[in-house]
Amino acid sequence: MMNRWWLLLLLILSWLAAGFVLSRSFNTPHFNNSAADNSVNRIVSTAPNLTEILFALGLDEKITAVSSDSDYPHGTAKKQKTGTFWQPNIEAIIAAKPDLVLTLAFQQQADIAHRLNRMGYKTISVNIETVGDLFDAIETIGTAVGCNAAAKGLVSGIKERLHNVSNELSVMEKVKVLYVVQRQPLRVAGTDTFINELIEYAGGQNAIGKTIHKYPPIGAETVYASGAEVIIEPTMGQKDPGQQQQSAIRYWQKFAALPAVKNNRIYVIDGDVVARLGPRICLAVETIAHCLQPQLFENR
Amino acid sequence: MKTLTAKRLLLRLTVAIAFLAIVMFLCSLVGTQSISLKTVFSQASDRPGINPDYEIFVRVRLPRVILAAIVGAALACAGVVFQALLRNPLADPYILGISSGAGLGAVIAVITGLNYTLLGRSPITVLAFVGALGTVWLVWLIGQLTGKSGVTGLLLAGVVVNTFLSSLIMLLTSVAKSQQVYSTIFWLMGNMGEESFLVLWVSAGAVAAAISILYFISADLNVLSFGHEDAKSIGINVSRTRTIAFAAAAAVTAFAVSLSGLIGFVGLIVPHAVRLVSGPDHRQLIPLSAVSGAVFLVAADTFARVVVAPAQLPVGVVTAIVGGPLFLLLLLKYTHKVSWLGK
Repeated sequence: MMNRWWLLLLLILSWLAAGFVLSRSFNTPHFNNSAADNSVNRIVSTAPNLTEILFALGLDEKITAVSSDSDYPHGTAKKQKTGTFWQPNIEAIIAAKPDLVLTLAFQQQADIAHRLNRMGYKTISVNIETVGDLFDAIETIGTAVGCNAAAKGLVSGIKERLHNVSNELSVMEKVKVLYVVQRQPLRVAGTDTFINELIEYAGGQNAIGKTIHKYPPIGAETVYASGAEVIIEPTMGQKDPGQQQQSAIRYWQKFAALPAVKNNRIYVIDGDVVARLGPRICLAVETIAHCLQPQLFENR
Repeated sequence: MKTLTAKRLLLRLTVAIAFLAIVMFLCSLVGTQSISLKTVFSQASDRPGINPDYEIFVRVRLPRVILAAIVGAALACAGVVFQALLRNPLADPYILGISSGAGLGAVIAVITGLNYTLLGRSPITVLAFVGALGTVWLVWLIGQLTGKSGVTGLLLAGVVVNTFLSSLIMLLTSVAKSQQVYSTIFWLMGNMGEESFLVLWVSAGAVAAAISILYFISADLNVLSFGHEDAKSIGINVSRTRTIAFAAAAAVTAFAVSLSGLIGFVGLIVPHAVRLVSGPDHRQLIPLSAVSGAVFLVAADTFARVVVAPAQLPVGVVTAIVGGPLFLLLLLKYTHKVSWLGK
């Protein structure tokens, strides 16, 4: 009776031993780094903002494939697609024969990078969660693809334009903004987000104070307490801002006493421009500034 | 029904395994990129980018198909055992809190952004495994305290611990960043990726070992599923059988979960389906369920890979959508209630 248990144990041990021996003969392939050929010619990007950075660096020719949700600039339409931002498709990436795969650093994307790396592909994962991260990421990418100068130029260009905008707006009185990411349940951008940074560049002030949540769900009481003077809603997937504007106005009627609602200052803006932390950040800030200080832009 | 002889069992198993091999081969030919077998074997790829077809077939699809087979076998087998142990047809491998324990571990790993690797495994895998085993051990302890023979205490403890840990998961995800929340949700829905050779080898060994152990005690499980008193009166060491079965099933489930997230339904419907088709004898039910579970998950995962290409569905969603109706059909057919389905 006891025999078969021992036999099983013996089998398990020999199976494990065989595995370790065999795994040595399965060498993972890798690029020969000593070879002089370090140039990057076939880049794959797995996120829309990374794609925008690559295009902004003038790498159009070298981009082989981009994520399916990369729809800006126009050049992306002609590129092969590699699955969505949340679910990159490893087969499509391999089929594009990349010599550099660019991903973001959060779990879903870092995982794809890790898997490709194990197969010998060169990958770079950059973390872009704040405006500062964006600048670092652009320089990291620039170094990796050998266009340092362009990257430095892009960063300083963005910094200068941001500086100009915020300088111009700093003389104005700060406007209290509620940046609504979701209506049911009501959720807004908290202070620990890059949206908050954009709002501050645009001469605004987040109407919500510090919260545990990055994007806190809030109740009616908090909405009133915020005293928001402007409400901004980014378009969410829905491609008709006019329609969302209508429904936003209807929705916010229940907070009729809120200054933003009373003065009819509810704006719907292009979500892709604002939510993608990429080289279009200045446009994002200007879009928000437009909502906060419309009189400033009227004469232009 | 004919009695189960060793010869008949061996024959059925051989047929089932051959079928599994065919399904695995066919499924590895299907994917979002069309590749040709001829190109695959025309040129070995010692570095990336030389022969994408080879890399996709050998390094992406085969490992993934093998992983699906391992996980499917593990879950189906564990399902059989939990249904027998708890004498409850609704039991599945996750019923005693393994899912929420693993889920909590995974969520903690995602949110704290841990970045180490243990034996090449990501923090999610490691913490999910620890969470799963820890939870099931806790539930087992509570079950033991509430009474040696009663399964009600065990079941209730499992349900309550499950609910409690699930709410902890919700609490954590509600304060997490949106990217982390998404990552967590995808993990919770079950996802397959390709694994390294060694991971597959060790997993296959571990799952095969657990299935063998369960097969060794399958005759005792037959008696046990009638009730503990009956089993005792026949002279079976109930508590020893229970402990072995429980430990093996829990370990194999935790293993499967750490490999691929929470894939529901396999452990519930495959055992029932096999039971409906070929009878409730555990000596046959355990090995046949393992093979059927493997076939089912390999097919479901292939479906998940290609149906919304180039994106993919979480395989846990596919198992439920495909498995539910399939199971209901089987149920109707084998309970003779619907004549047009015939027998």
